Formats: sequence, C-alpha cells, structure tokens
Amino acid sequence: MTPAFSAEQSAFSQRLTEIVGSASVSTDERVTAEHTVDGLKPFVVVFASSAEQVSQVVKAGNQFEKTIVPWGSGSRQSVGPCLARADAVISLKPMNKIIELDVGNYTVQVEAGMVNRDLHRQLAEQGLFLPFDPFCTETSTIGGELATNVSGPSRAAYGTARDIVLGITAVSPTGDIIHTGGKTMKNVAGIDLGKLLIGSQGTLGIITDTVMRIFPQAEVNRSLLLAFPDAEDAFQVVSRLLASKLTPGSVELVDRLVGHHLEPAGGPPLEENGVLLMVSISGSREDAERHQKDISTLAEENKVDSTVILDGTEVNGIENAYHQAHQSLFTSPSVVQGKASVPLSKQGEMFRAIKKTGSKYGVPVGVTVHGYNGILYTRFDASVADPSGIINDLNGTAAGLDGFFMVEAAPLQFRKNGAVLPPRSDYKLMRLLKNSLDPRNILNPGKLVGGPG
Amino acid sequence: MIQQSFIKELTGIVGRDNILSSRKDLLAYSYDSTSRQEMPEVIVFPRSTAEVSGVIKAAHRDKVPVIARGAGTNLSGGTIPDRGGIILELSRMNRILDIDTANHRAVVQPGVVNLDLQNALAPFGFVFPPDPASQEMSTLGGNVGENAGGPHCLKHGVTSKYVYGMEVVLSDGEVINVGGSVEDNPGYDLRGLLIGSEGTLGIATRLTLHIIPKPETSRTLLVIFETLENASQTVSDIIGAGIIPGAMELIDKTTCWAIEQGISAGYPTDAEAVLLIELEGLQDSLDRQVRDISEICQKNKVRELRIAKTSAEQAALWQGRRGAFGAIARICPQYIVMDGTVPRNKMVPTIHRVDEIAKKYHLTIALVAHAGDGNIHPLILFDTGNPEEIVSARKAGDEICELCSSMGGTITGEHGVGLEKLHAMFTQFSSADLSAMRRVKEVFDPEGILNPGKLLPPEEDESLHETKEVAG
Repeated sequence: MTPAFSAEQSAFSQRLTEIVGSASVSTDERVTAEHTVDGLKPFVVVFASSAEQVSQVVKAGNQFEKTIVPWGSGSRQSVGPCLARADAVISLKPMNKIIELDVGNYTVQVEAGMVNRDLHRQLAEQGLFLPFDPFCTETSTIGGELATNVSGPSRAAYGTARDIVLGITAVSPTGDIIHTGGKTMKNVAGIDLGKLLIGSQGTLGIITDTVMRIFPQAEVNRSLLLAFPDAEDAFQVVSRLLASKLTPGSVELVDRLVGHHLEPAGGPPLEENGVLLMVSISGSREDAERHQKDISTLAEENKVDSTVILDGTEVNGIENAYHQAHQSLFTSPSVVQGKASVPLSKQGEMFRAIKKTGSKYGVPVGVTVHGYNGILYTRFDASVADPSGIINDLNGTAAGLDGFFMVEAAPLQFRKNGAVLPPRSDYKLMRLLKNSLDPRNILNPGKLVGGPG
Repeated sequence: MIQQSFIKELTGIVGRDNILSSRKDLLAYSYDSTSRQEMPEVIVFPRSTAEVSGVIKAAHRDKVPVIARGAGTNLSGGTIPDRGGIILELSRMNRILDIDTANHRAVVQPGVVNLDLQNALAPFGFVFPPDPASQEMSTLGGNVGENAGGPHCLKHGVTSKYVYGMEVVLSDGEVINVGGSVEDNPGYDLRGLLIGSEGTLGIATRLTLHIIPKPETSRTLLVIFETLENASQTVSDIIGAGIIPGAMELIDKTTCWAIEQGISAGYPTDAEAVLLIELEGLQDSLDRQVRDISEICQKNKVRELRIAKTSAEQAALWQGRRGAFGAIARICPQYIVMDGTVPRNKMVPTIHRVDEIAKKYHLTIALVAHAGDGNIHPLILFDTGNPEEIVSARKAGDEICELCSSMGGTITGEHGVGLEKLHAMFTQFSSADLSAMRRVKEVFDPEGILNPGKLLPPEEDESLHETKEVAG
C-alpha cells in the first residue's frame, strides 16, 4: 500500500530518485514503518551508496525543507532526546565496505554503514584488531556507533572513539562533504571537527567514512573472572588495581542479574548480592603471567569467592556472552537504560546507591561498570509504577558524588516525560552551533542533548 | 589602536603590578619561538578567572584583539600579536589546585608549567603523559591550546586524551565549563573542539587533567644504523611485533653531530640514523622486549645497540634528544622547525624528498622525528644575514608542508598552524572544510577578537590557491 503524498512530498521523492535511482528510494509502508523513530514514521526512505549521494540528498532536504534522519542499523535510534520531525530516513546500509586497510600504518578506513562485527572478523583474519567494542547489537554500524559515541570494555586501555578515530568524512547539514583529521597518528591542523561529530547524534553531519587506529593482536589474551560475595570487596580490588602499575585491557564489574547470563560461557555463579569482576589481560606471555599473579593476590586479599581463568577462544566466548547479555538486558524496548558517570573512587558508592534505590522502589536494577572509567550502566523494567522517582533519586546521588546520571534509552512516553538532563553551562553554545551549522534544522531536529524542549 | 583610557580600565581590572605597556616591555612579548616579531599594545597578567573575564569583556566591547599566551614557546607564530591588541599572559595563573591520585585527576590553572606538574606528581608515582620537548618551559594551557604531543605520545596518545574538562572564558567574557570532572559528559564534545584551537575559540582558565600511574620501570636503548631505511624498517618491525614502546625517536647525523658539539650525550657523529627507544611497563615484560628488539635490530643490520645501564645513562641519552633543538640553535641560531606527520609507512620516502628539497635550495635541513608516529621535525637552517637564504628557507618550509599533505599526511602534527602554516592549510583542506571551521569560529567568536588571523586562512586568499579537491 502506498499512501497518498502531497505534491511537495512527491517532488522531494522524485528528486531523491534522480539522485540514487528508483531502486534505492522507497515510500512503501512496510519499509517506512521499519524506519520509524520515536513514533515518527518517515514518508520516504533513501539508501545511499556514496558520500556524493548523501551530499545530494541533504542538499535536496535543504531545498525542499524536509528533515533527514541518518540511519545505520537503527539499534540506537531511541537514545537521547526525542526526535521532533522525520520526513526522510537516509540509510547508509549500502556503504558497508573497507575502503583501505593500511597494515603498514596500522589504520583502517571504512564506510560508515560497515557493521562493526564484520569489521572485527575481517581484521581478525589478518591478525589485527580494532580496540573499539561498544555494547551494541550484532548489526550496529561504525557510523552509528560514532554518532552516538558508544563504548565498550576496551576503553579502559585504548580510550573512546574520540581517541581511536583519526579521520572522518561527513556530509554537513547543508550538504557539503567535509573532511577532518586524516590517517596520521597526530594531526593538529585546523579546528578538530571530528571531535564535534563524534557523539553529535546525527545533528551536525552524517558521517560517511572514518579512519581508525588498529593494532596487531596480542600474543596472549586472558580473562580473569573473580566472583565476590560482596560488592565492597570487588570495588576495593578495582581501587587497588587503579593505584598499581598494572595495565589491564579492561576491567568490568557486573551484578548477579548480568553475571547470571555469563555462566554458560564459564562465568562463576554469584551469590544474591555478589559481584563479578572481569579483568582482561592482553600482551606478552610475561605480561600476562605477572598480571594474573598480582590480580589473583589482590583478589585473595579481598575475600574473593572463586576465580576462573579463561584463555584463547574461551576469552571470545565470555566477551560475546557479555555483549549479548548487555544487548538483551539493556537495549530491550521495554527497559529504561541509564548511565551514571562518577569519579573513580566513588564507583562503589554509586553502585550501592543504585541497588538501594532499586530496593526502595521495589524494582530490581541491573548494573554493569567500566571500572577504569567511572561509568555505571543501569537498567530496570519500564513497566515500573514510578520511574521518575528512581531517576530523581539517582540524579541526586550522582550529583552528590561529583558526577551525573542520565537516562540514555527508554520507551518513548518515558523519554518525553521523564528524561532529566544534568544541568550544564555549555548547552547554549551547543544550540548556537547547531543553529549555525544547520540553519534550516534539517538533520535529526530535536535530537540535540540540552536542546530546546 | 588602544587608547590610554582603555589601558587604565585594564589596570583597574588586573592591578598596577599586572600590566605592562612600555615600549621595552612590549618588545619582550613581540615574539615567540619562531623568527617573527610584531608589537602588541599592552600586556596583562590576570591572576583569576574573573580578571580574565573582565579583560575579555572590555576587549569585546571595544573589539580589541586578545592573544592568550603561556610561555611563548610555540613554534608556529601562534602568539605573535600581528594585529596588535592585548597579550593575555597567563603565567601568573600557575597554581596546581588539586592532585587527586585516587581519581586519576589533577586540577591546574593554565599557567602551570608542564614539568612543574610532572615534578609535583612524581612523589605520588603519577605522570601526565603529554611531554612536549618544551616541557621545562611550556605551560599546560599552551599544551592544551596546541593539543601538544611529545615523544611519549606514541604509547599514550596526545593531550586531548588527557583532558577531562575545562573552565573557559568565551569571547564575550562569559565563563562556562566544558567536559567535566568525569567521563562521557552529555552533548557535543566542546572540550575536544577547544583543544588545539590555538586560542581562537576561548581561553581556558582551569584544566581538569587525567593523570596516570608512572610505569613500573623503563629501559632506554640507543640503536645506531648506517642507513635511514634500516632504522625505519626497525621501527615498523617493532610495532608489527606488537611492541608499543613509550617512545621511539629518530635522530639524523647532522643533529647527532650538533648534540655532541654541545653536550656529550654519547651519540655517534658518523651514523646516518640513530633510534632512541624507550620501553616502559612491567619489569617482567621488558627483558623479553629488549631481546625481541635486539633480534629485530640484528635483522635490520644494526651497527650498534646500546642499552643504558643506569638511570644516569638513561637521562643523558634523553638529555641529548630533548636538547636537540637547542643544540641546532648553537650551530645556527635561526632555523624553521617543521612538524608534518605522514602515515608511518610513508616516512622514509618523505624524508628522502625533504633531502631533495634541501639540495634544491642549497640548504642544510637537520632531522629528528617521533618515528613511531610518522611525525617528522625537519629543521631548516638559514643565515639571517642572507636575505636570499631566508626566502629559500621559507619556500622549503612551504614545500615540506605540501609534501606531507601529498603523502596523505598533515602539515602539522604538534605545533599548530598559527601564522606560519596558514597558507599551507589550503593544501590539506577543501574550501568546504575550511568554511565549516569558519562557522564554528563565528559561533564562538562573532567579533573575531580571539587570536584573530591565526589557524584559519583568510577566505579571500582561497582563490590564490588551488584548494584540495573534494574527494567523491
């Protein structure tokens, strides 16, 4: 069934057809419905195959005053503030190739629609790895991951996208193709627009390709799974690790709700209020041995219940299980997913406060922690009677610890009513930037954090 | 032209002891570490955020240029007051406000000297990883303004990775905070946008920095090669073996000779290239790394591999490298330092082309490089008494910028654009790229008072250059 369009909509769709060809434009109800964001169904979906096409489409959006929603796999569209209007969705799905793998330079340039998991697989075949493992779905694209600035366990050792990305090509909100950075390890020429684009949620540009750092795979990859009956002890080990000379690849803590899902992949069982500390080690044999020895000692000194050490493919197994658990528990549409960011020494306190708040409202709250970054992800069921009470409590707790808490993803009605942003003094400047770079408000209107409304 | 009444107003803000306007004093702030000189109209030394804001408000009202300056060590003309105005000298905002090792954080004022912070962190066993060669003098505010690098960025990354947040005074005097004291702050990364913006978007008045525990131990190796190719292949092979040293510096024959004229660091004066490699990490893994690197060096026909046996020997080797620019200055007081960066596997062809440029202009070009990063520092020597040679040196510099761009690299990896590389920007960016940057500049500084004329080349000059073609 094709719905009736206004003359203006038809003219816009016609223009899109001229740009990408009729096979890559769809106004079919089934296709547009699949690309609904925040309850807003676009009237047209266009599939772009090149930066040039993206540029032409955005120019057409400006000309016809139609808003455009950039789309990778759609897995993180319900993150952040609500979209205000969706005329067209531009899908970068056809842009899914490696443009250049430069092994001698240790960089890879990929199109934005490339699926992260596919990229990881292709790099692994050549003994290489990309230290960018955000908690996303099997189909999440690199472009979408950069636009939402998501991250994963490896940020402990390698930083976030803002550290791993060397260059970005993007289409500006007015349709210009712009380049920022490049393929060198250092680059300070001009204003660093790449930093601005990463995490801008498609409001300042559509990322079309990127150059990222890659590394040779380590000699040894090992995973230490340490079960603690008490969260206090697990966080004590993290504090001592942070003060030590050790350099683990990642340091994650999960509660029983999440830990339970890791048992089939080798995770030790947890007690009711237990916490699983997962430390990954990657490096030379000597490095791994030393890490294993010291961390085991630290754990024993802090009342560890059981220790499991995984090696080789078992490490992949536990990492996959962790990602899958995150995906199913935290990104389900019926879940309120939040994120707290606190100083490193306050992580344990925040963890306990989250658990206490859950008990107060009679809602189990699942928590995972990037233990080297002070980031705690929370999840609870959206059917809870009074979600705003929990959120307000957590906002207050995080602020009291010199950090913040915010709802990242949640069902629509909840995000419209309940999403409270931490107060900041730089939102005004962000709005000015958006207005200046996107004068007709074409790209993802309303999605700007701290924006109007 | 600044009126006497304006200077009086500024005196009211910062106090009589924190303002200079005599010709003699203005001269002292008329230059940086490049060979250019232009006169400012007044120098102020604010001691607080409120004073910075007060000065900026006055400047904003009267549309007077404001150039934020730390220690003036920059190598791109970034703090040259070529349009007069106010030099906002931040060296008196030099307090370390907090060292919080439990949270891997230090809070500092922008005028704190990089090495002073390192020294304050040392008793706690912590470091701030960015270590520009100028660290004995350069300020952290300046490091942030330029997004400074340094030898140890190979392993740890550049300044932008180590800034949690900043307090910033905007061009109208408003004070805001970007980033924060924790990670993943919501909204656009204005922190990342401001870092490296060379004082053109705002002035940082307080920095929250990320500090890390000092590595357990380190080893310093001096590796001597007969050819540049062998040295460079060694660099590639080390990274390919999964070893990321703390630093991996390449030093050419001319520079080694200059270093040895000044201090006896123990460098050879007859080898084409030496590598100064610093390994850092756990005691357990370094013995093995040294063995692996020795094997790689043997394979690449090393002439000699020396391992510093004591910390004094380590320090001597590093003193040689850190003093390289100064050593060159002793044999030739005037030179231009380039800092282009190319893909790591393009470093050797780039260096050969630099040699050709030297021959073409009959110039001596010495070279040091952060080899692991592909970041080269050709030092173009010239005689200030020889006008033709000055012109040649400038032309050679422009050609090296173009060369680095054409190799798929950048005109500047560390030192910034400033005034020196304004026109080279056209070789790296399209007019669309530059226009997007100008829009950002206009949002932050609509009156154009913050370090005007730096970083972004004038739009009207675009027609004089063939800007980079937009890739499809």
